[in-house]
Amino acid sequence: MIEVKNLSKNFKVHKKKEGLKGSIRSLIKRDYIIKEAVKDLNLTLADGEILGLIGANGAGKTTLTKMLAGIIHPSEGSVSVLGFDPWKRENAYRSQMSLIMGQKAQLWWDLPAMDGYLLLKEIYQIPVQEFKERVEFLSKSLGIDKELNVQVRRLSLGERMKVELIAALLHNPKVVFLDEPTIGLDLTAQKAVRTFIKNYRKEFNPIMILTSHYMEDIEELCERVVIMKEGQFIFDGNIKEIQTKFAKKKMIKVQTSQTIDPNEFPAELGDVKIINKHEQCVYSPREKTMQAASHILNHYEVQDLTIQEEEIGDLIESIMRQND
Amino acid sequence: MINFAWLRSIFTMELRQIITYRADFWVNFVGNASITFILAYFLWAGIFEANQAESMNGFTMKDIILYYLIVPQLMRIQQGSGIGNISREIYDGGLTKYLLYPVNYYVHKIIVYFAHTTFYILQLFLIIFLYWTFTGEEGVLQFSALQFFLFLLSLYFIALLYFSMSSISEFIAFWADNIWSLGVIIRFVVSFLGGALIPLTFFPQWAQAILYKTPFPYLITFPFDVLTKPLIIEKYFENLIIITFWTAIFMTMSYFVWNKGKYKYSGVGI
Repeated sequence: MIEVKNLSKNFKVHKKKEGLKGSIRSLIKRDYIIKEAVKDLNLTLADGEILGLIGANGAGKTTLTKMLAGIIHPSEGSVSVLGFDPWKRENAYRSQMSLIMGQKAQLWWDLPAMDGYLLLKEIYQIPVQEFKERVEFLSKSLGIDKELNVQVRRLSLGERMKVELIAALLHNPKVVFLDEPTIGLDLTAQKAVRTFIKNYRKEFNPIMILTSHYMEDIEELCERVVIMKEGQFIFDGNIKEIQTKFAKKKMIKVQTSQTIDPNEFPAELGDVKIINKHEQCVYSPREKTMQAASHILNHYEVQDLTIQEEEIGDLIESIMRQND
Repeated sequence: MINFAWLRSIFTMELRQIITYRADFWVNFVGNASITFILAYFLWAGIFEANQAESMNGFTMKDIILYYLIVPQLMRIQQGSGIGNISREIYDGGLTKYLLYPVNYYVHKIIVYFAHTTFYILQLFLIIFLYWTFTGEEGVLQFSALQFFLFLLSLYFIALLYFSMSSISEFIAFWADNIWSLGVIIRFVVSFLGGALIPLTFFPQWAQAILYKTPFPYLITFPFDVLTKPLIIEKYFENLIIITFWTAIFMTMSYFVWNKGKYKYSGVGI
């Protein structure tokens, strides 16, 4: 179980004036500002739950993850993960936790992944047989079993992420923090990593917190999401609730023989987005959707019409963009 | 309970990393052993010629040659993984991965350091072998098996002493980001006051008396004397106790700096 109460983190950041003059001045006198990275967060996660943590760059996602992993010290509030205070960095806690960082390699660059795994085996004191079975299971699940003896630096980005995932999961952690595990990967590799995480979770059921900028990751893996903005939670709930809470419009997808002219379409019924000559999307206020659909049917030669909720990804992006 | 399998694994893994690149091994060896030696040789040959002396402050020209072959390597041995090994990890967030593992970061770094020390010790063996090959009967380096063993033991003691001393400055990276210059200053101070630049017997008596109240002579002059001078067992162990004393002091200081600094760590880069 994870419990976060009134958690805040402030950083004292050196603010340097631009240019050479600013650089010289900073040698003598420095100005600092206090940056509130996360503010008064409260969160509870049950055993086996997976949470998608989303937000723009600088929203505070990684800071929160780092505090949960015990890497940085909170300025205020408390954190409890599996009954441990992460900051105390007790071995009993660290043996049950894992952090996968998409932007930072944990394995040793100049050595094959297997050499790194052998060291991790000793660090986590994994029995030999269990270690062999675990490496075999994880590497085969990720389709990387042939690359374990290649120097890590010689692997492709996708392969590197896969060997990193194995390293992080070797000791069968009960809590897994995934910080942008698919960043920079091509679509095939992203899908492979997603499928792996999904299957892994089904089999081992750890608590997972997934941070990602890719909506496919969140939509496919998480039921519950937290949206962060400027260090605060602006939404915490089931991913489907986002639509009922934030979707002020519905999407009418229309195929017509002629193009709908956005300038001629009544503004109060919605905005028209042209996909191609015969396909358009009309974003209509929820209470006017039926009226808009009827207007389209009456005024255009319609071949097909469907009414859909707005895409969750688009919604989240628009939520995050608000007040920017 | 100490996890010896983990310690052995770190040690062998670091050693494997060091020797991964063959070319670097030989360039490192030839560069380090030859450049300092050649510079020192011509400088001291000139000094001896100008003074028309057979021996100066207990050193003949042959002793000087041996001194400048061995001492630069002793510097490498005690300086293990070098300046910035820890501070760089604090600066670029590399420390994060070690904080996640259920192991002691400081002990981990000591073992990594010892792997580098061992690598340089292997290079020192090669230097001694080459010295004997080239000097033959003319050589002035002779030692017993016991002497050699005690010399080896002392090398790990001095490496630990230097590590504990430099780790204080490395942890200052929690506040100062870049501590490279501080590391260079410490290295220079140790080189000069330890006798790496000029043997300590060339210092005035009063300066030597003061210096032996500091840890510096134990870092260079002590191991060199163990290998090249007649062995006095009591004196040897007395010196090891002094080294242990200084190491304990620096480790305690280092622990306090770490304990303050860890609150400043922001794990940048992830």
